[in-house]
This record gives sequence, structure tokens and C-alpha cells, in this order.
Amino acid sequence: MRADISPRAKVGLYGLMCVLLIPFVFPTWWMVTSSIKPISDIFAFPPQLVPQNYDWTTYSKVFELQPFVRQYWNSAYIAAVVTVGTMIISSMAGYAFARIRFPYANAVFMIVLLGLLIPSEVTIVPLFQMFLKAGMVNTHWPLILVPIFGAPSVFATFVMRQFFVTLPAELEEAARVDGLGRFKIFTKIALPLAKPALASVAIFTFLHSWNLFLEPIVFLSSADMFTLPQALTQYTDAYGGPMWNIQLAAATLTALPVLIVFIIAQKQFVEGLAHTGLKG
Amino acid sequence: MADVTLSDIRKSYGAVKTIHGVDLDIRDGEFVVLVGPSGCGKSTLLRMIAGLETITGGMLKIGDRMVNDLDPKDRDIAMVFQSYALYPHMTVATNMGFSLEHRGAAKTEIAERVNWAAGILGLTDLLDRYPRQLSGGQRQRVAMGRAIVRNPQVFLFDEPLSNLDAKLRVVMRGEIKALHQKLKTTTIYVTHDQVEAMTMADRIVVLSGGKVEQIGAPLDLYDRPANQFVAGFIGSPSMNFIKGTITGQGFAAPGITLPLPAAAMPLAGQSAIYGIRPEHFSLDENGVPVEIVLVEPMGSETQVTMKLGETKTTGVFRERINGAPGDTIHVLPNVEAVHLFSEERGIRLN
Repeated sequence: MRADISPRAKVGLYGLMCVLLIPFVFPTWWMVTSSIKPISDIFAFPPQLVPQNYDWTTYSKVFELQPFVRQYWNSAYIAAVVTVGTMIISSMAGYAFARIRFPYANAVFMIVLLGLLIPSEVTIVPLFQMFLKAGMVNTHWPLILVPIFGAPSVFATFVMRQFFVTLPAELEEAARVDGLGRFKIFTKIALPLAKPALASVAIFTFLHSWNLFLEPIVFLSSADMFTLPQALTQYTDAYGGPMWNIQLAAATLTALPVLIVFIIAQKQFVEGLAHTGLKG
Repeated sequence: MADVTLSDIRKSYGAVKTIHGVDLDIRDGEFVVLVGPSGCGKSTLLRMIAGLETITGGMLKIGDRMVNDLDPKDRDIAMVFQSYALYPHMTVATNMGFSLEHRGAAKTEIAERVNWAAGILGLTDLLDRYPRQLSGGQRQRVAMGRAIVRNPQVFLFDEPLSNLDAKLRVVMRGEIKALHQKLKTTTIYVTHDQVEAMTMADRIVVLSGGKVEQIGAPLDLYDRPANQFVAGFIGSPSMNFIKGTITGQGFAAPGITLPLPAAAMPLAGQSAIYGIRPEHFSLDENGVPVEIVLVEPMGSETQVTMKLGETKTTGVFRERINGAPGDTIHVLPNVEAVHLFSEERGIRLN
């Protein structure tokens, strides 16, 4: 059908796509270019789309004003642990919901899915009280445990279940005849075939954890425990006003690994979501 | 290799009964085909033998062991599935050796067995490929390789050829038969295709509605079907059935009287169904007149749809027939090949 489009229509179509691209590309462009501008140029009028003066010291100041390396490490290891934990929990739960017949399986699954409908703002206060009693406030445990057993994991479970539902039952029956039990069927047959779905779970779980903002500002109070989104808010001058160019330099550094991960894994991400019947 | 004995095997899903007490003795090394229309319970029966479905009632023995409650892995069976069920993430060699590997066989033994099976099935050059890189026939062979590599007591085949095109189906049919003749392992094969059943089986079990209709050698079923269902199911094109009454002069059907064997005369006065296979008509000037409805030349034979009295029937003739629809020809049924069935229950009368 695309081959039927006339050259003129094609030019129009691509033009329209370029216009639609602006809202997506412009903020990133503005963030990256502003991170190397002197602060006065950020507010210059007319706006400077291409920097005319460069101030590279913003990047060194990012590391001087905050324990940024430490915060980078915090974000990275929390995201990694959450990702691995969610992959384990969601793949096992998704498999169970898709493949194991037990009483009220669908009703239980619906109840689990309801977890997606509860905004984190609603649960944050009781969670804070719970972790306070457990002595876990100002530790990274809440940022690890809440996503692994909370809404992100529920969504991941949904994605994995949708994948496992499509897995032919005969594969499992063949494995049973070959002598495998339930757990071996899961680890040797189902899980290796679920790589695309697992990849998409890994990517969106990592992104979710990396971008988490509300939970860190509630649970963490010392700078060396902060994660990156929280650290970004700390680049302020003596009067509490944001140091825009330094903040944007830190934001650029924060966004970098996410962009790299997404570019490398976008094929699996799209394939994985295609398996679930969801749109990316 | 082992005998397989089914004694009053039953299956229910809640209140719904699907298998109504099947008795079957399969001898060691025998090739038995379970055949029947969709929904007759043949696949369920096979899956019960495999251990993939629970057995509601009765007793199942493989060899001397009662296996009703054993897991599939403990029954010493191997199964070939309709969709082949090859593990997509494993190579042909890994697929074939997977069960041995899981059972803790030594690597050298696995390699030896896989190479032996690959040699028999012509898969030696394909061992490093993945299932997605194989054609339908090759996948089918790998599925068989996976079954034979373990040298089980019983092979179970669940409609293994139904995903193949007609030509390949004929080739694979021959290969499965040849494999059985080589290995002589007890084989239970499920199909809905009566041609497969006829060409492959030592014995055929015809099922309908979860009950056994008849068990016998292919030609016994063909020549002496026990009832109208088996008569209609076995044979292609299927047997013609004409309703009527047995009289002293022959079989009185609407608009025509057909000849009967002398042995049927004691049944005179009884309403019945006259069964005659298409190839048991011959062209004969002294025969009964029939009106041609359709002529289908097949090359080696001619298939003619014709009106025998008021009943539409099919005849297959060695001769080439050039008649047009509406023309009249004379055909003679071979009286020795006539089957009579009771009108009420379809039971064989002669």
C-alpha cells in the first residue's frame, strides 16, 4: 500500500512526520545544548537553538556539588537489582497464571491486576510507616522491595502471562513425555522461549526504577543515598533557585544510559510488547 | 517393546463422558491405528495412554505394569505430536538428545544414539540446524527421531501427518511404516484419515462417540464392516447406502429393484439398508438403468455420480465413460459384495 503513495504525498507525509517529531526531539535538544551554555544564554531572547557561547565547566560542577558518582552507582545498582528481581518474580507468576490450573486462577489474576489501578501516591504514606517501623527508612530497601512486589511487577507479570499463554501446550506435553517436571519445564523450555518478553520486561522495569522520583524523596534523606532523579533537584544556588545549566548537565548524564539501553534493545522491546498484544 | 492392554477405559470431564469403556489388547510389536471422525475420542484415548490425561475408570497396562497413575516419563513411551512440538530454541541434535540428557545419560551415549537415529531418518546433515530452518517433512522426521532415540516400549503418534501436504503425507506414511518394520516397536497411531489407517495398520480400531465400533485388520474392516458407521467410514469414495425392503425378488428400493445374494433371502420382508461400494458396480447391458448426474474422469478410472432409482450413488469404473448428465447407462452391482444393515441400528445382517 505504501508503494502506491505518490512522491508528492510522500513529501507531505514526511513533512508532517517531521513536524510531529518536534515535541519529542526539542526537549532533549534543549536539555543537551543548554547544559553547555552559560546560564544567561539559556534565557536569552530570541532563544538560541544552537549555543553561541560554550561553558564546559557545568559538567565538572555536577560532580563537585553532589556525590554524583555515588548517586549514579545508587541508581544503577538499585535499577539492576529491581530489574533482576522483577524478571524472576514476574516470569514465575506469569507462568503460573498462564499455565498452572488452580482454583480461582482468573479471579486471583484480576485481583493482582487491580494493583495497577492504585496510584503510588495513595500507598506511599502507609508504606513509609511500614518501612519506618522496620527501620528501613533512608536505606535503599524500599526502592528495591516496592517495585519488585508492587505495580511495576504486576505489569511485568501481565506481560509475561500474555506471552506464556501463547506458548503451545504441546511443547510442555512433549517435555513431560521427555521426563521433565513443572519447574524444569519452566526453566528449560518456557523461559528460554520467553526471551523477547523478558527483554521488554527488563527494559521497562529498568526505566521505571531509573526514573523513580516520588519514592526516593520520601524514603531517602542523605545526599550519598540519593538516586539520580532526586539528586537533580539538589543543584540549587544559595537562595534555592535552580542552577539551570548544571542541572541540565546532570540531567543529560542521567538520561545517557537510558538512551543507550533503549537504542541497543529497542528491537526486543517492540517484539516483546508485540507478543503481549499491547502497543509500545 | 511391550503389550498394551486397555480394560474398560473410561474418561469423563465432570458430568460429560467422552470415553465409554474401551477394551483393547495391543500385542507386542503391533501397529494399531485408532481412527474415527473428529470428536470421537481417539486423541483423548492416546493421551490417556501417554499419561497426559487422567484415566477416570478402567485399567491401563503397558507390559506387565499397571500405569494408570504413573507420570508420562515413567511409562516408557515416546510420543510424536501433530505440531511436532520441537523445542524451537534447541538444535536438531539437542532436540533429539534432550530426554536422554535429562535422564542423565553420558554424553558419548547421547551422541551415539542421536547419530544412530539421525542415520535411520536421514537427518545426519541437519543435526546443527534449528527447527525453524527445516521443512515440514524434516521437522516430522526430527519428531520421530526424538521418539526413537530413547528406544521406548511404545510409540504414540497423534495425527503426525495432518500438517503436511498431500504428496509429502504419502512419503512420510511410507517412512513411518518402514521405520516400524525396522524397529518393531509397539505403535499406536491416531488419525482421522482412513487411507492412512488402511495403509499403515496391522489392526484398525474404529471409534465413534467414545466407543469402539470395530477392531480388525484393514481388509477385514473393508470387506466385512460390522455396522453401517464402519462401512461408511472405511473406504474412499465411501460406500453407497440405499434404504428399502428385502423381498423374494431382490431389494426393493424407491424406483428400483436391486439384486441380492441368495444367502439374504431368509431375511425377506425385512426393512434394511443396502450397502455397495462404488467399485462394486460394473457396466453391463443386462444391469439396472441409472441416470448419470456427474462424470469425473480420474485417468486410471472414472467416477460417476448416478441416480439409482431415486437414490444418488457413486460408482467407480475401470472403463472411460463419455456419458453426459442426463444420459442413461446400465450398471450391475456385484451381489457377492453387497452389505445389508438393519435400518434401526445399522448392524450388519448378512
